Amino acid sequence: MSISIQNISKRFGSFVALDGINLDIPTGELVALLGPSGCGKTTLLRIIAGMETADAGEVLFSGREATHLHARDRNVGFVFQHYALFRHMTVFENVAFGLRVKPRKERPAEAEIKKRVMDLLGLVQLDWLAERYPSQLSGGQRQRIALARALAVEPKVLLLDEPFGALDTKVRKELRRWLRRLHDEMHISSVFVTHDQEEALEVADRVVVMNHGRIEQIGSPDEVYSNPASPFVYQFLGNVNVFHSRVHGAWAEVGRDEAAAGGESGEGGETLAFVRPHEIDIERGPVAGGLEAEVQDVHPIGPVVRVELAHASELIEVELTRERADALGLAKGQHVWLKPRQVKVFAAPEYLLEDGGSGI
Amino acid sequence: MSRVLPGFGLSLGYTLVYLSLLVLIPLGGLVLKAGTLTLAEFWQIATTEQAMASYRVTFGASFAAAVINAFFGLIVAWVLVRYPFPGKSLVDAFVDLPFALPTAVAGITLATLYAGNGWIGRHLEPLGIKVAYTPYGIVVALAFVTLPFIVRTLQPVIEDIEPEVEEAAASLGASRWLTFTRIILPAIFPALLTGFTLAFSRAIGEFGSVIFIAGNLPMVSEITPLLIIAKLEQQDVVGATALAVVMLVISFVMLLTINALQWWAANRHKGRAA
Repeated sequence: MSISIQNISKRFGSFVALDGINLDIPTGELVALLGPSGCGKTTLLRIIAGMETADAGEVLFSGREATHLHARDRNVGFVFQHYALFRHMTVFENVAFGLRVKPRKERPAEAEIKKRVMDLLGLVQLDWLAERYPSQLSGGQRQRIALARALAVEPKVLLLDEPFGALDTKVRKELRRWLRRLHDEMHISSVFVTHDQEEALEVADRVVVMNHGRIEQIGSPDEVYSNPASPFVYQFLGNVNVFHSRVHGAWAEVGRDEAAAGGESGEGGETLAFVRPHEIDIERGPVAGGLEAEVQDVHPIGPVVRVELAHASELIEVELTRERADALGLAKGQHVWLKPRQVKVFAAPEYLLEDGGSGI
Repeated sequence: MSRVLPGFGLSLGYTLVYLSLLVLIPLGGLVLKAGTLTLAEFWQIATTEQAMASYRVTFGASFAAAVINAFFGLIVAWVLVRYPFPGKSLVDAFVDLPFALPTAVAGITLATLYAGNGWIGRHLEPLGIKVAYTPYGIVVALAFVTLPFIVRTLQPVIEDIEPEVEEAAASLGASRWLTFTRIILPAIFPALLTGFTLAFSRAIGEFGSVIFIAGNLPMVSEITPLLIIAKLEQQDVVGATALAVVMLVISFVMLLTINALQWWAANRHKGRAA
């Protein structure tokens, strides 16, 4: 089922949670709503689910008006960050709940319910826990049960609100892959909310980056990462070094060639140059167009080495592979030259207002 | 093996002494005093027609009051937890008034209100409903006195139910009614039972508020505690203790039963304790 969101706005008192959101989610897509806390992503998800009402705008399911449909009539599966399992019911009864509360005419027979529930528990690989109670399960298991419960009513849309937010890193990674597989098997449209950029980039077909109740960019994970539409997206997706071009003439020069590709630098105006830490090379000797900097600190972090450098008063972060770092043999206080491989330039005022570009 | 927590011996000893002084010794003395009667005499005093009628009134009215409050107290607790409204903390404070108000004051006030010429009784009388000076009056007084027990026991438990659980039920297609009966009620049932028990046992022992509104007609609206006082006034101490022992035993058995029920309700889902 496709979802179409048209001009949705929502306020909580004076706080604008959503400001004229337009978004189309085609059938079968797995979409991530990504943004910092308070950006409105959860509110948008809850409006799609019918748990919150929009002040203005419309929600269409398969082209049909659904804005005022009650949550129970939307046929939407919802998974909560903190699972929201029914504590007094066994795992089996939790999953069976959606089937048991159907009106008598639509309710499957007991044997059918049993079969469907056990199939779903098999799907989430927890059929051996059917008789346990939620409090006897680990966080990851609870979230899988919550998913099975949501899927039991065969929803056309699956909505997940920070589904892995309360889990530890290892379980989170596992469930991420598993959600992707499940989505592909079930042939449904899924929308999940996250503030974890890695999660969004890894799992989703499309990423919707939100900030201050507006959509900053919509695109494939690769698109939003390598071609951010606004300074906000650039900064939110991974680490980035920001340079005020006018202050550092050398950087403006370096950036000029690349800027023509996708940046919006005004002629001679104040601009900001964005460079990702892994897109900077460090050289021991002077290089043309390079920027001199002093090594402040060297942190080996797993497979990469993070180097902090000072240029004038600004802190610059560079990520090198271990091999490259070993070859350079960097030491604190050493003077080196930096050469960015890729720079993106945005006009400064836009950034200062924190009023990013509109969605594509 | 040494315990991690110090003071076990001292605190346990203190607990036992305290409970003995306040509860065990007085009650033991009561039983001892009643023990001066032979079994036949005891049975004869305990089962007079007047005594039997008073048990019925006492336990019947207490049960009715507890049941009524289980229902309306649940609504009050629900409203106080779930809905924001102006003056909420004031309403919340009202709930505690029956705790603080001298019960005699409550009894006199209620009797005045519900009497045939009172503010409320005036409107009930044409309908053929008499409240003051009947067993209904006792139920009203007991309901007043026991309301806070149920509301205060339920409030934290209702607060504990995440709204998400209800939203989850709704997204699975459950109506409000099904969400209430299948999700909310099972979650608050043990607490409801606890509140019911507290209210019920408090109602059985209530005296002050009841005597003013009950009319105290023997065989109709006379509660057992009043009967005991009547016997004491007639210097019939042994007879009074006999009735007291009967009340003690019935109350004890009831509390034990409800406790067992409560234990069962709380442990139905082994997982809950964790």
